[in-house]
Amino acid sequence: MGQHPAEFLKMSMALIELFDLSKSYDGELVLDEFQLSIKENEFITLLGPSGCGKTTTLRIVGGFTTPDTGKVIFEGKDITDLAPNKRQINTVFQKYALFPHMNVAENIAFGLKISGKTQSYINDKIKYALKLVNLSGYEKRDPMSLSGGQQQRIAIARAIVNEPKMLLLDEPLGALDLKMRQDMQYELIRLKNELGITFLYVTHDQEEALTMSDKVVVMNQGYIQQMGTPEEIYNEPENAFVADFIGDSNILDGIMMEDRVVKICDHIFPCIDEGFGVKKPVDVVIRPEDIIIGKPGAGIMNGTVTSNVFIGVHYEMCIEAGGFEWLAQNTVSYPVGRQVSIDVLPENIQIMNKPQSEDEEAISLDD
Amino acid sequence: MTKKLFSMPFIFFILCGTVIPLGVIALYGLTDREGVFTFENILAIANGDHAKALGLSLLLAFISTVVCFLLAFPLALVLKDSKLGKKGFMVFVFILPMWMNFLLRTMAWQVLLERNGIINTALTAIGLPQLSIINTSVAVVLGMVYDYLPFMILPIYNALIKIDSSVIEAAYDLGASKAIVLRKILIPLSIPGIVSGVTMVFVPSLTTFAISNMLGGGKVNLIGNIIEQEFTASSNWNLGSGLSLVMMIFIVISMAFIEKFDRNGEGNLL
Amino acid sequence: MKKLGRILYLALIVLFLYLPIGTLMALSFNSGKSMSAWQGFSVKWYQEMFHSQEIMEALGNTLTIALWASVIATVVGVLACIGLNAMSEKKRSFFMGVNNIPLLNADIVTGISIMMSFLLFGISLSYGTVLFAHITFCIPYVILSVMPKFKQLENITYEAAMDLGATPVYAFFKVVLPDIMPGIVSGFLLSFTMSVDDFVITHFTRGAGINTLSTLIYSQVKIGVRPTLYALSTLLFVTVLVVLLAVNILSSDAGKRRRKAGADGDYYVKQKRGITPKGAMALVVAMLLVVFGLNQYAGSMVGPQDQGKLYVYCFGDYIDPDLIDQFEEETGYEVVMDYFDTNEEMYPVIKNHTASYDVICASDYMIDRMRNEELLEPIDVRYIPNLENLQDNVKGFIEEFDPGMKYSVPHTWGTYGIIYNTTMIDEEIDSWAQLWDKKYDGQIIMPNSIREAYVVAGRLLGYSINTTDERELAEMTQKLIQQKPLVYSFANDNARDLMIGDAAALAVITSGDVLYAQEENENLEYVVPKEGTEVWTDCWAIPKRVENKEAALAWIDFMLRGDIARINFEYLTYAIPNKEIADLTAGEVLNPSDEILANCETLKNLGSAGDDLYSKYWKQYKGK
Repeated sequence: MGQHPAEFLKMSMALIELFDLSKSYDGELVLDEFQLSIKENEFITLLGPSGCGKTTTLRIVGGFTTPDTGKVIFEGKDITDLAPNKRQINTVFQKYALFPHMNVAENIAFGLKISGKTQSYINDKIKYALKLVNLSGYEKRDPMSLSGGQQQRIAIARAIVNEPKMLLLDEPLGALDLKMRQDMQYELIRLKNELGITFLYVTHDQEEALTMSDKVVVMNQGYIQQMGTPEEIYNEPENAFVADFIGDSNILDGIMMEDRVVKICDHIFPCIDEGFGVKKPVDVVIRPEDIIIGKPGAGIMNGTVTSNVFIGVHYEMCIEAGGFEWLAQNTVSYPVGRQVSIDVLPENIQIMNKPQSEDEEAISLDD
Repeated sequence: MTKKLFSMPFIFFILCGTVIPLGVIALYGLTDREGVFTFENILAIANGDHAKALGLSLLLAFISTVVCFLLAFPLALVLKDSKLGKKGFMVFVFILPMWMNFLLRTMAWQVLLERNGIINTALTAIGLPQLSIINTSVAVVLGMVYDYLPFMILPIYNALIKIDSSVIEAAYDLGASKAIVLRKILIPLSIPGIVSGVTMVFVPSLTTFAISNMLGGGKVNLIGNIIEQEFTASSNWNLGSGLSLVMMIFIVISMAFIEKFDRNGEGNLL
Repeated sequence: MKKLGRILYLALIVLFLYLPIGTLMALSFNSGKSMSAWQGFSVKWYQEMFHSQEIMEALGNTLTIALWASVIATVVGVLACIGLNAMSEKKRSFFMGVNNIPLLNADIVTGISIMMSFLLFGISLSYGTVLFAHITFCIPYVILSVMPKFKQLENITYEAAMDLGATPVYAFFKVVLPDIMPGIVSGFLLSFTMSVDDFVITHFTRGAGINTLSTLIYSQVKIGVRPTLYALSTLLFVTVLVVLLAVNILSSDAGKRRRKAGADGDYYVKQKRGITPKGAMALVVAMLLVVFGLNQYAGSMVGPQDQGKLYVYCFGDYIDPDLIDQFEEETGYEVVMDYFDTNEEMYPVIKNHTASYDVICASDYMIDRMRNEELLEPIDVRYIPNLENLQDNVKGFIEEFDPGMKYSVPHTWGTYGIIYNTTMIDEEIDSWAQLWDKKYDGQIIMPNSIREAYVVAGRLLGYSINTTDERELAEMTQKLIQQKPLVYSFANDNARDLMIGDAAALAVITSGDVLYAQEENENLEYVVPKEGTEVWTDCWAIPKRVENKEAALAWIDFMLRGDIARINFEYLTYAIPNKEIADLTAGEVLNPSDEILANCETLKNLGSAGDDLYSKYWKQYKGK
């Protein structure tokens, strides 16, 4: 395929470049002309529901799956058909995939032995890696006797001792409990900073993605839905799918009356978006924490609290207003049945185009 | 707890079908025809003819076990890697002969290998020299391999498919070549299956008398033939029991092996 | 390239696995008995098989035993799992260890030990003993299949059911059972398979007239080429193939549905191939249909105590099967036939009363031995009016092993000699010594029984065939060992078929097999070597503790009838010493001249010490 000079330039700056990757299984397309370029030292996360093609992408990069079409360019070289054992890329698997018949040290030494390192180098590396993952002294342990978090850290140690250019992580925290998961998130960020290698991370957990990544790629049904920093993804979802998938949201039908004015539930809300046209149906996203609850009449709309649950720092309430059940979060509790008003600051109203093509229709608001 | 009582029928069968019979065989094995206690029947294994038959049995059983393993392991690997849809069918193809009576299978080889059987007729027809392995140890080994091969394929296959595919991918990911994956991952992780397959081929091969009778033409005298002969032709039950007790040693060894390598029963037949 | 290698490898193994089966299938449609030449398409072996009561009975026994054994083992095994799980860890692992013994133990040890236990406690072998042995070795398979399911089972669901008011029994059937069902099904099927395939344990624990397919095949293969068995193989294979394919298709449909439901974009789906309960039910129903279809043949499976049955224990293929029907029709007794290959195989069965037979057939020296050991019932000649048909020249020989003919009545007689193929041999054969001629390397078939082998060596060296002189025996053994490298095969009854098939040039054979062999292969000649030989007589006798003496006497008398002897001779071609058929048995082969007979001996009973001596040297000979 012919390459545009500009593309070539971009490629030379990227560590890895994925061109037009497509893959289908049994006639079902799981990856459709997927394009992505990853810079050196980036922490990039593929985020999406199961079946969105994120793991397939990771497996193509790792060399475990060959794409039907498309190319994987690594440091300027085409590695699409290169066997996984010949790639300078290592993977941390979802279920750790530790070798059950080897102890911790043997697991970590596996790759080093294959590349013919000396025993003293290997011993040093094992020590170093175990220290890095806070498991010093675990050399002789049987991996199956360790906790999930410990096993995961061994799996990471096993991958990083080989000093890969890139580390692939396939839902590595999926099997851990909440506390452990949070600890490991910080650990991973620390590791990435200490080692200075590129991380390609796959998860369906948006919180994980937002916490750790430099860049998040939201995927659905083989397409990229949105790519950007965690802030961009969270604050400015490009479509209803992203909005729905990232965090809790109120997604409403609205009509763009003119620039900076949107009508929601027959009420006029000021906003900051422009260029959507006049009397144009749009999707509107409002985050629950952005809803300001006040006395009846104080806001734009009036409504009634229909449920109230304390969920830690704040209360989560449902407010029936204008025929829509609004999800709102507030540190102040309003009891069920109380008449309230709701208001939203113009900058917290996110306006999105309605999906137009049938394809886009299919991917929107898919639960 | 009354629940324990549910195991009474089982304990009855264990007692009457296993424990008492083993006691009886020990009783016969440790006495002579007059009922006097003796070690003679056990020590008789050292007697030239018995030792020789045992030696030959061990050798043939060893060879057939090794051949079975060499055939079954690559086969199980290929089956494991074969495409999803065909997998069940392929495994089915390779274990189907197991459902045919093993004596009929052995008889089939008799028919094939006989001096004027199909193989030799075919060889003569295309001008090749005849294959004269019927009534030799080679034919007996062939019969053992043929009869017991499925017992090697199944446990190894079952052990192999239990290996998490991500463990194998992890090895490739860490730079292992196919040879290293085989040596360091696939073989060590299928040890339970291999051990169970080896036992399931070795023990029956070691003690067979039917295969050696049918394909050995009476010329291949295994320890199984001697024991069977003591119970039928010679009717010296005490000697037969004594020799059987010696055979128990090998069973104890294989139990120890299984205990060591296959604690969780991973290498089961089904 | 690599893929090609894989396919080639698979193809070679498939060929290895299926070539023998395919061969049997092809030969089952061959109209002749040849093992290699195609002699035309025919289904006669199938007809013969379906008409063979023996085969049908064995099939029925095999299936009923397998079914009962696996059902009982499944119930006992599942109960055991419940009980074991309620036990302490220590006790449980002890029982699990004992449970493993029958699995790992050599079949021969299991079979022998169970047989000896039965006999030690005075239980004679029967259908029931086989069933017991099968249940014993099936239980471990059930437990090994079910136990892991119990371990996976969450106790909490059972407790939840009880919490919701279910009784323990109700909770077990509604909550526990469905979860462990796959284990039960696979345990059941495994048991069934193992039971059907078992030979060794059945071989040792079966009673009179109880044959399963395995034991039947084993005894028939020893006799010679049996195209009916090829037909049986084909039928079994096709049945198994159809049933398993059906099960496979049923379960793979289920598998596909599961895969669809669990479809995940990354396709990590591991398809679980298993036999679904539905498939298993199909299998069981199919088996049941076969069993009930054969039920009419399986009447004999109940045991030897039934009234009106005659249990006959005799050399294989020694009676025209039509005569058995005729006897049943004429007398109303139901005959159950059981076969052995050598006298030595039969003797311990009678001696230990392993199984109860009413009438047996045995050779001269064995009659002598059993008579001496008081294992035989005297025969009341008043009930044998046809005894007058007995040929006179055998009476002298009978005196040697049964003076006064008190315990036995001759059935057949003959000599031992050499059968040879004139197309392979240029010289005249007239001496045992020619069996030691190196130019016949790999062309000689020797007898596979102790005494007959020493007849050859004994007459050659000029010793009595009944010698118990160790020096002479050692010398004979040395002589035999010398010849061993030249031997193609050791065979008894099947020597005949090997000679017909041109597998060897010379065989030691009994004169009775000669006529049949010559009919099938015109190049065969028989000679009694000049050094002399054994004259043997096979006789009917009635063991002590007989169940149905009347029937036994009727049987013996029936066999002596002129018309019966005629029919039997035409089937058997063995010399029957019956005056009424003298016209048929004339000729050197079947009725040797007095000159030849004068140079012959009969085998005598040598006592336990003598037998041990022969056994010792025989092992030395066979072990070399």
